[in-house]
Amino acid sequence: MNHLRMNRFICLMIGLTLVFTLVGCGSQASDQTDSAPTKGGTLKVAYASEPDTLDWSFTSATATRDIGWNIFETLFALDKNYTIKPLLATDYKVSSDKKHYTITLRKHVPFQDGSVMSADDVIASLDRWRKVSSVGQITNSYIKKVSKLNDQTLRVDLKTPYSSFIESMSAPKSALAIIPEKIAKQALDQPLNTKQLIGTGPYQFAKWDKGQKIELKRFKKYASRKETNWGGLTGKKTAYFDKVDYLIVKDTTVRQNGLKTGLYDYAQGIPSDLYDTLKRSKQVAPVTYINGYSTLTPDKSEPPFNDLKTRQALNAALDKKAIAQATYGNQKFYQLDGALFDPSQKQLYTKEGTEGYLAYDKAKAKRLLKESSYDGKPLTIIYSNDNDNYKRIAEIVKQQMEEVGFKVNLVPYEWTTFLAKWKDPKNWDLEVVGWSTRFSPSELGMLVLNSNNSGWYKSQKWSSLLTQWGKADTDVQRKAVLKQMNETVYSELPFYKIANESSFDLRSTKLHYDSWLGERFWNTWKTSE
Amino acid sequence: MLRYIATRVVSLIPILFIVSLIVFLIIHLTPGNPAALILGQDASRASIHQLENKLGLNEPLFIQYLDWMKKLLTGDLGQSVYSSESVKGIIISHIGPTINLTVFALVLTLLVAIPTAVIAVWKRNTLLDPIFISLSLLGVSIPAFWLAILLVLIFAVTFPIFPVAGYVPLSRNFFNGLYHLFLPAVILACVETGLIARMLRDGMLEAIGQNYTKTARAKGLSESAVLLKHVFVNALIPTTTVVGTMVAGLLGGTVIVETIFTIPGIGQLLIDSIYRRDYPVIQGVILFIAVIYVLVNLLVDLIYTLLDPRIRYN
Repeated sequence: MNHLRMNRFICLMIGLTLVFTLVGCGSQASDQTDSAPTKGGTLKVAYASEPDTLDWSFTSATATRDIGWNIFETLFALDKNYTIKPLLATDYKVSSDKKHYTITLRKHVPFQDGSVMSADDVIASLDRWRKVSSVGQITNSYIKKVSKLNDQTLRVDLKTPYSSFIESMSAPKSALAIIPEKIAKQALDQPLNTKQLIGTGPYQFAKWDKGQKIELKRFKKYASRKETNWGGLTGKKTAYFDKVDYLIVKDTTVRQNGLKTGLYDYAQGIPSDLYDTLKRSKQVAPVTYINGYSTLTPDKSEPPFNDLKTRQALNAALDKKAIAQATYGNQKFYQLDGALFDPSQKQLYTKEGTEGYLAYDKAKAKRLLKESSYDGKPLTIIYSNDNDNYKRIAEIVKQQMEEVGFKVNLVPYEWTTFLAKWKDPKNWDLEVVGWSTRFSPSELGMLVLNSNNSGWYKSQKWSSLLTQWGKADTDVQRKAVLKQMNETVYSELPFYKIANESSFDLRSTKLHYDSWLGERFWNTWKTSE
Repeated sequence: MLRYIATRVVSLIPILFIVSLIVFLIIHLTPGNPAALILGQDASRASIHQLENKLGLNEPLFIQYLDWMKKLLTGDLGQSVYSSESVKGIIISHIGPTINLTVFALVLTLLVAIPTAVIAVWKRNTLLDPIFISLSLLGVSIPAFWLAILLVLIFAVTFPIFPVAGYVPLSRNFFNGLYHLFLPAVILACVETGLIARMLRDGMLEAIGQNYTKTARAKGLSESAVLLKHVFVNALIPTTTVVGTMVAGLLGGTVIVETIFTIPGIGQLLIDSIYRRDYPVIQGVILFIAVIYVLVNLLVDLIYTLLDPRIRYN
């Protein structure tokens, strides 16, 4: 009898051990996301490129955005579903003629220099943003006057209705960062220097060792909102780490190896072809998020692409499926979708009007090219060879164009030279570049009329659609405008969308991290085991 | 001697003038400017032009050059376009890591190269000699970037003995600093050891057939005394030149090793500044490297007089 009991006991123990082992394995694989948050420590982020400035209003650079939004905050911001929610504002009211906005602010929100945010700070920040930010400059053309009603309330009078007004103020690039009035007036139209990096965010700027690291520390007096389910850039934010170190590590292999050996907790910018190898690792977990799309833009100010027929011939010549497959490889990192916005941007996305996106037809391309004014002169495609994806796209596009009768030269430049060459139509006929995710039609860089970014696109239709967008109030009206925008892009062909892109980062499995657009490190903590 | 040194130092001026002029022209004629980079790809032409004006980049080239020269004569290397810090300060803050790495690599190189070369000469008619020649050839031929990746993979990832990357100033924690510098210094030393050991061996082999060596042997000196006191010392002159070039090269920044190990040295600074078109920093760093080269060469010439008293500069 005792022997039987002993056997049962042993069986039970073996069974329990197995269960615990399996649970243990399971918890390892589930990235420990259920562990309780722990405060303290330093988060070490291996960041691929050093920003030129941390002034979130001044530049549209992604590196500035990703670090800046830990320090600064905006009046309104995008939540996890990319819809606009208040952040430093509590609410806004708009008059019936849509020309007067009354914005109320949250009370007792401290800046990182100890002062408390008031309407004066917001007005000064707004004034500066209207001058220095690319989004602010567009918004400025609608603004008539900004006035203070009391310490917590301001009023903005517009010249004409502009329904994208709140949208522009919540743009996550070239953002309306709220800074103290004194600093906004001191800095004027210069980028903020390191002493002026004062915001209301959960982390504050501590130190910048140029070329080496940018150090943020917890802002102890941070006044957080309470909403736990908003996510994105607003809602409840808690800075769990004492310090966040952005270490500038330019070499991809070093970022990966550093993460594997525990030198870093998070590594930004990993080549997507390593995804399949790295996703099996027990120490690191993949982080993916949307990152706009890649484009091919023709110079429409000169022959041959000033002729719509040549542009149509090129559209028919491009086998985008083949380009995307060869460029991105893993389907997790690209999506063939012709819309101007990402499917996850529910309020901005419509597939309607994108029929012209996948229009590959070699015979048609050859016919259209014969009918066009193209005279057989070699065309120049410029791209930045700092980015492997642009390079691959340019190479395949060249091949596909030559198959239908175009003659093409590829001219690669390093990024800074590319930016300079891009400004002059004499240097190029086509350019390949990627555009990060945008949150309003007015922010679509590749469609800014008569600019090098759009290949000197001139279109009354697009201009009137932007005006209609500014007036559209309801979701139905907006979707109708978005549909027409898609249609215009595929009928006028100012640029060719290649494919939606996803970015790939890596994090330690010890890190509790909620992936969204770009890297942001509030509500993020590290478990000790 | 003092007059010789003074002449050499004065001869620096035309060299630096020519270097500065060439560098100024090359970087300013390279397309791209910091204003476009700072403002990002969405920036309009008007805002770029506005920022260019503020940064003084729209002035004619010769005016920009004259302004820079005027400041340079007063010892002012100007300010970085992108961080507004003084170029002098930036160079000083980046020279520390480069000096530490250079000294560490030099010590490792000499510690390995000298004994190896002496042994190779001592055992010159044995199997050791071809082994030595092959190894030194391998050392010279292996690309630093490949060796760096390989050593990191073995000694930092597979067997995590050393850190993958990073830099700790020796002033903050001496031993931890050396620990972080070990792999990068070994990589630089591997490449340089091959060359220096080979130079030393060849120099010694040449000296070994000289009359003074025969005399030393005839006096009845032991082979080790002959090798160390007569042969080795006489082989040092060509070796010193190579060591001098190595030191100047390393002090000028080792871009690949500094990038792979994220060491914030001069090489890293120069590359970053070129990508950013941070003109004042590029000009300052190149001038600094030119000065280093000239001074190290001067030092090498002076060391010659110590090594070989027959050499005198008048």
